[in-house]
Amino acid sequence: MTSLALQRQQGNRRTARRLLLAVLAMLGFSFAMVPFYNVFCRVMGIQQDRTAVADAPVAGWQQQVLFDSNVAAGVPMQIRALDARREGHAGGLMKARFELRNLADTPLGVRAVPSYAPLSAVRYVEKVQCFCFDAIHLAPREVREVTVVLVFKSDLPATLGPITLSYTVFGLDGGKQQTTATAQSIAKAAT
Amino acid sequence: MTTTTDALNPAHPIDHGHGADHGHGGHDAHDHHHAPAGWRRWVYATNHKDIGTMYLWFAFSMFLLGGTFALGIRAELFSPGMQFWQPEFFNQLTTLHGVIMVFGAIMPAFTGLMNWMIPLMIGAPDMAFARMNNWSFWLLPPAAMLLIISLFVPGGGPGAGWTFYPPLSVQLGAGMDFGIFAIHLMGLSSIMGSINIVTTILNMRAPGMTLLKMPMFAWTSLVTAYLLIAVAPVLAGAVTMLLTDRHFGTHFFNAAGGGDPILFQHVFWFFGHPEVYIMALPAFGVVSQILPTFSRKPLFGYVSMVYAVCAIAILSFMVWGHHMFAVGFPATAQLFYMFMTMLIAVPTGVKVFNWISTMWQGSMTFETPMLFAIGFLCLFTIGGMSGLVLSLAPVDIQLHGTYYVVAHFHYVLVAGALFSLFGATYYWLPKWTGNMYSERMGKLHFWWSMIAFNITFFPMHFLGLAGMPRRIPDYALQFTTFNEVASVGAFLFGFAQILFLYNVIHTIRGGVGPSPQRPWDGATTLEWDVACPAPHHTWTEPPSLALVREGLIAQGLEESTHVEELK
Ligand code: HEM
Ligand SMILES: [Cu+2]
Repeated sequence: MTSLALQRQQGNRRTARRLLLAVLAMLGFSFAMVPFYNVFCRVMGIQQDRTAVADAPVAGWQQQVLFDSNVAAGVPMQIRALDARREGHAGGLMKARFELRNLADTPLGVRAVPSYAPLSAVRYVEKVQCFCFDAIHLAPREVREVTVVLVFKSDLPATLGPITLSYTVFGLDGGKQQTTATAQSIAKAAT
Repeated sequence: MTTTTDALNPAHPIDHGHGADHGHGGHDAHDHHHAPAGWRRWVYATNHKDIGTMYLWFAFSMFLLGGTFALGIRAELFSPGMQFWQPEFFNQLTTLHGVIMVFGAIMPAFTGLMNWMIPLMIGAPDMAFARMNNWSFWLLPPAAMLLIISLFVPGGGPGAGWTFYPPLSVQLGAGMDFGIFAIHLMGLSSIMGSINIVTTILNMRAPGMTLLKMPMFAWTSLVTAYLLIAVAPVLAGAVTMLLTDRHFGTHFFNAAGGGDPILFQHVFWFFGHPEVYIMALPAFGVVSQILPTFSRKPLFGYVSMVYAVCAIAILSFMVWGHHMFAVGFPATAQLFYMFMTMLIAVPTGVKVFNWISTMWQGSMTFETPMLFAIGFLCLFTIGGMSGLVLSLAPVDIQLHGTYYVVAHFHYVLVAGALFSLFGATYYWLPKWTGNMYSERMGKLHFWWSMIAFNITFFPMHFLGLAGMPRRIPDYALQFTTFNEVASVGAFLFGFAQILFLYNVIHTIRGGVGPSPQRPWDGATTLEWDVACPAPHHTWTEPPSLALVREGLIAQGLEESTHVEELK
C-alpha cells in the first residue's frame, strides 16, 4: 500500500469514528427526549391531567361510580365486578377489578365492550387502561382478574350524579366458537 | 452558455480515449483477480458497482412487492363495503405497503444510485469502506424477509400503520415484533451506508474538486447521509421503546403507567419529517444533473442550490409538529410549527425557480430522462403546494387523517422520488450496461406513468376535502366514483412498471445498440469520462486536474483561463 493510500485510509477511519460518535449521541438523544418531554410538559403547564395522575390525591367532588357487567347470549363465561361501587375525586384516579371465569372446557376468546350511563359522563371520565382495550384469551376453566383504570377530568361537575360503567362481554369470532363450546358444555351437563 | 459547451465538445474525443484508458488499460487484468465468478461475486461483493447493482435490484423487487400490496388496497377500495379482505388484513396491507416502499424501495434505490455514481462522479476508486458496504446491503434482505414472514405469524403482520403509533402498536401480536426488528436492521443498514457516503465524499474527491464544485447529486447525497446519521438512531430508539413497552414492562407510552402515547409521536416525527427529505433530497440531486444535461446549460444558481439543500435539511428538524396539529397542542406550539413549515417552502421554491431558470433559453431536447425530470418538476410542485395547504394549522385540523394527506405525500414521493429514480435509471443505464435503451419504449413508460399517476392520486385531493378518512377498508357511498377512478389508475400505473422492467432487461440484453461513452452531448460530469459500460474498476488513478477542470468549466463552476481557451 502506498503511503498516500495509507494516509487516506487513516483519514477515512477518523471521519468514520466521528460519524459513529454522532450516531451514538443521537441514539442517546432519542431516549433523552423522554425525561425532557416530561419536564417540558410540566414547565409549560401542558397536560396537567397526566401529571395529576402521577401524584394522585387531589381534592374535588366525591364522584360515585357503579360497575355493572353482562355476558352476551351464548358466551360460556361469567364476569363479576369485584368492586361494584367506588368513589373517586375530580382530577383523581380510580381503579376497579373484575373477575372473568371461563365456564367451558375449551379455550375462549372474548372482548368486553364498555358503555356509560349517563352518556354525558363520557366527557369527564377517561380510561387510561382497560381490559376492554385488548382481546382476551382464556384457557379452559381459567379464572382471571382484570382491571380498568379511570381518570376524572378536573372540570368534572358536581351535578352529574352516580355514573354507571357497564361492560358486556362478547365472543371474538362472531359467536361461532362459543356456540360450539356451549353445545359441548350443555352436552356434558346432560351426560 | 451553449457556445461554451459547443466549444468544449470538440475536445471530448480526446478525453474519450483518456477515459477509456482508465477503464481498460492495465485494469482489466485486475478485474479478473478481484471479481470472483458466480454467486461469490455478489455475496462477497465489495465493488461499489456490484453493490450498487444489488441495491437497485433489491429496491425494484421491493417496489413490486409494495406495489402489489397497494393494488390489494385499491382493489378493496374499488367499491364500498367489504370485498376481499378482513379489516385487520387491510391494516396490515397499508402498513406493509408504507414500510416496504419507504425503507425497502425508495431509500435503498437511492443508496444504490449513490453507490454506483458517487465514486464515478467525484473520481474515487471505490467507496471508503468496501467491506462495510457489503454489510450495509446484506442486512436488507433479512429485514425484508422479517416483514414478509410477519404476515404468517399468529395475528398477522404489523397493522398499526407505517407510523407505528401506540397504543395499537403496543397491543398488536407478534407480527409487530417482526416489524420492529426489520426497522432495526434497515436502520443499521442506512447508518452504515451513510457513514460510507459521507466519508467517501469528504475524503476521496478528485484533485481540484472542492466541496463547492461537486456535482449537485454528490451534494444532496452528502446532506441526505448526514440527515440519516442524525435521525436513523432516533427511529431505532423509538421502536426500541415500543419493544420494551411490549415485553419488558416499561411505560414509555403507556398512560396507565405514567407514560404518554403522544410522546411516541414526537420521537417518531422527529425522525419522520427529516425522513421525508431523506427521500426527497437525492431526487433533487438527480434532477439537478438531468436538467442541465438536456438543456445544454449549466445548472442555474449552483451555490444557492447548495444553500437551499442545507437550509431544507436544517429546517427539517424544526417542523415535525405539523404532523401532530390534531393532538391538542397549545396555540403557541401550533403557530411555531406552522410558521417553520411554511418557511421550508422558501428554499424549496428557490430550487424550483433555479430548475426552471436552468431550462430557460436552453437548447432543450426531450429524451426519457428529461421527461421524467420535467414530470418531477411539475408534479412535485403540486405536492409542495398541497403541503403548504396542510401546513396551515387550522386547515390541517380538518384535513389531518384524510385522503388529502395521502394525495399530498404521493405527489411528493411517487412523482417526486420515484419519478426521479426512473429518470436516473434511463439517464445512467447506458453507462451501466453499455447499451442504449429504446427511446420509444422509454417515452411510452413515461407517458403511461404520468397519466396513470394523476388518474390515481389527483381524485384523492377531492376525497380528502370531502372528508374521506385514510386507512379504512370501507367508506360512505358518496365517495364511490372517485375511488373507482383512483383504483383504475392504480392498476394502470402498476402495469406501466412491468413495461419499465421490460425496458431495463431489454437494454441489458443489448437494447437498440451499444451506447457511446458520452450518450448525452450536454453531460459534463466525470462519470461520462469513463468507458461505456463502466469497467469493474474505475478511477484507480484519480482523474487529472486538467480533466476535472474541463468538466467544471463546462458546468460553469470555473472560469477558463486564457491558455485553455487557446487550446
Ligand atoms: C413545501 C414542502 C412541504 C410541506 C409544507 C409539507 C407539509 C406537510 C404537512 C403539514 C403534513 C401533515 C399532514 C397531516 O398529517 O395532517 C405532511 C405530511 C406528509 N408529508 Fe409533507 N410537506 C412538504 C413536503 C414534503 C416532501 C418533500 C415529502 C417527501 C418527499 C413529504 C412527505 C410527507 C409525508 C410522507 C406525509 C405523511 C406522513 C403520514 O402521516 O403518514 N412532504 N406534509
Ligand atoms: Cu413533515
